[in-house]
Amino acid sequence: MIRVGLLVVMVCASLWGQTKPGQAKNWTSPKTPWGDPDLQGMWPGNMGVPLQRPESLGTRTTLTDEEFAQKEAQAKKQAQADSQSTAASDSVGIGPPSYWVERGKPSRQTSLIIDPPNGRLPPLTEEEQKLRKEARGGKGFPGEWRGEANSYEDLNIYYRCITRGLLGSIIPVVYNNGNEILQAPGLVIIRNEMIHESRVIPLDGRPHLNPAIRQYMGDSRGHWEGNTLVIETTNFTDKDAIGSNGAGYPGDPGHHSADLKLTERLTRVDADTLNYQATIDDLKTWTKPWTILIPLKRNDHYQLLEYACHEGNIAISDILSGARADERKETK
Amino acid sequence: MRNLVHTTIVASSALALLLLATAPTDAQTYRAPRAADGHADLSGIYEALNTANWDLEDHSPQQGPMWQTGAIGSEPAGESVVEGGTIPYKPDALEKKKLNFANRRTNDPEAKCYMPGIPRANYMPYPFQIVQSPRGIMFIYEFASANRLVNMGKPEEAGSDTWMGTNNGHWEGDTLVIDVTGLNGLAWFDRAGDFGGKQLHVVERFTRTDPYHLNYEATIEDSTVFTRPWKISMPLYRKVEKNAQLLEFKCVEFAEELLYGQFKKQGSK
Repeated sequence: MIRVGLLVVMVCASLWGQTKPGQAKNWTSPKTPWGDPDLQGMWPGNMGVPLQRPESLGTRTTLTDEEFAQKEAQAKKQAQADSQSTAASDSVGIGPPSYWVERGKPSRQTSLIIDPPNGRLPPLTEEEQKLRKEARGGKGFPGEWRGEANSYEDLNIYYRCITRGLLGSIIPVVYNNGNEILQAPGLVIIRNEMIHESRVIPLDGRPHLNPAIRQYMGDSRGHWEGNTLVIETTNFTDKDAIGSNGAGYPGDPGHHSADLKLTERLTRVDADTLNYQATIDDLKTWTKPWTILIPLKRNDHYQLLEYACHEGNIAISDILSGARADERKETK
Repeated sequence: MRNLVHTTIVASSALALLLLATAPTDAQTYRAPRAADGHADLSGIYEALNTANWDLEDHSPQQGPMWQTGAIGSEPAGESVVEGGTIPYKPDALEKKKLNFANRRTNDPEAKCYMPGIPRANYMPYPFQIVQSPRGIMFIYEFASANRLVNMGKPEEAGSDTWMGTNNGHWEGDTLVIDVTGLNGLAWFDRAGDFGGKQLHVVERFTRTDPYHLNYEATIEDSTVFTRPWKISMPLYRKVEKNAQLLEFKCVEFAEELLYGQFKKQGSK
């Protein structure tokens, strides 16, 4: 009975909230039935913004009308070329045919990086420069595959379908950009199409895992600051990289250390836009923290499909066995 | 003195309450707490506590697929979770199951870190979490980061085949019923090589029987493999540890030597 009474009060309250005068103009964040800001929905990424800003643009965060028109014309040309291309090619790779790729809708935003103000990655620490140079006996971390394939370890975790990492699962690339947010009392789930990740984020204020436990996706804890979901993630492994690990953006941020502390801030700014902001604080790797902003657009029609990357990964055995076949040819 | 009397009264009424709370262990009389939407609240982290992942059917203890690991990785005995005891295979399918068993060390999709499919995901020796959200009911499995979102709205037809299937759910009283189609038929049901085919159709039933258990049932049919539909059932146990959470088990790295080791350059790491 008490429960029924409470329900009636809640329904009345929400009806009253909707009809409150003066609110029609200013969009207010909807709430879940249990009273949290409601971020739920399908929020696919859009590869229309470069990670780093071209140096020529300085501290300018948006394109001029002229620059934007140019970008749009370029995108149109690219889309036409993509649609006319065929899968046949004399080069071998793991990429999809270009008519599959999602290059994104042009945007005026000049870079995903919004801090530092020049929109560029801060310099690497000396320690990290040394590490990147000396990794794997001087070969460096495996980035974009350049042909050497003695072992699967010569290929990065992107090729190996291990994970895109936390940020790499959200930073838009040319395919599988689906992100879905689900909520339940006491937790938020961020689902990524890349590679079927689903991060369960507790909101109950529990402590982080012991630092002895390290995970590719880290260990996330969330809380609300007004209508913003703030997620702090620690306990990362140092085997991961930020971005798409060498296979996406030129000048990918690359390897990070286990000290990485990631702070994400998710805010709905209107019915169709969710601002996703993330600050990367890893002073062992970058000399300063840096922040990216990805405005995600709601798309109720987007279908997040199961990406069985590893299950369908014939690239690794093909690349390795191909390299062995080449060696046999050479020794003959 | 007054304190003592007070304590005694509090203690005995607490005991009475405890008895009252624990007395109706029968699933018929237990009423699950309600979720935000008014349906039974099944949310939580669960894990099976049986040997179904070794073999759905009755099995004696035996050495595991890797003699090198000795008693570690050997198979404990277990009783069948199949109604009637055995899986009604067609003769040629039974032969394939035997072949699967013979090659289980290299061919079991679990060894390869492939998504476990349905029903196997629910009784692997890894926890999974059920989350009841207004967008659907999410199942998140620790093994291989597998997951599935159960659509609780208008049923959707399966698109392309997947490992974790197309999941349409509805409530029958306090029981969550999930109709799983669009399964690719590549997953196994256990380490004994039990399997389904391209026509695999699984109907699952999850019922909360008390604060700490779910009853799990799955009806499995595939006329290309089995002579009739058959059913498994088992309890699933809630993890009651404080702050229990799923951890990461990204097992691709653990399977690469098995999958790709043969293609490495001789002498390379």
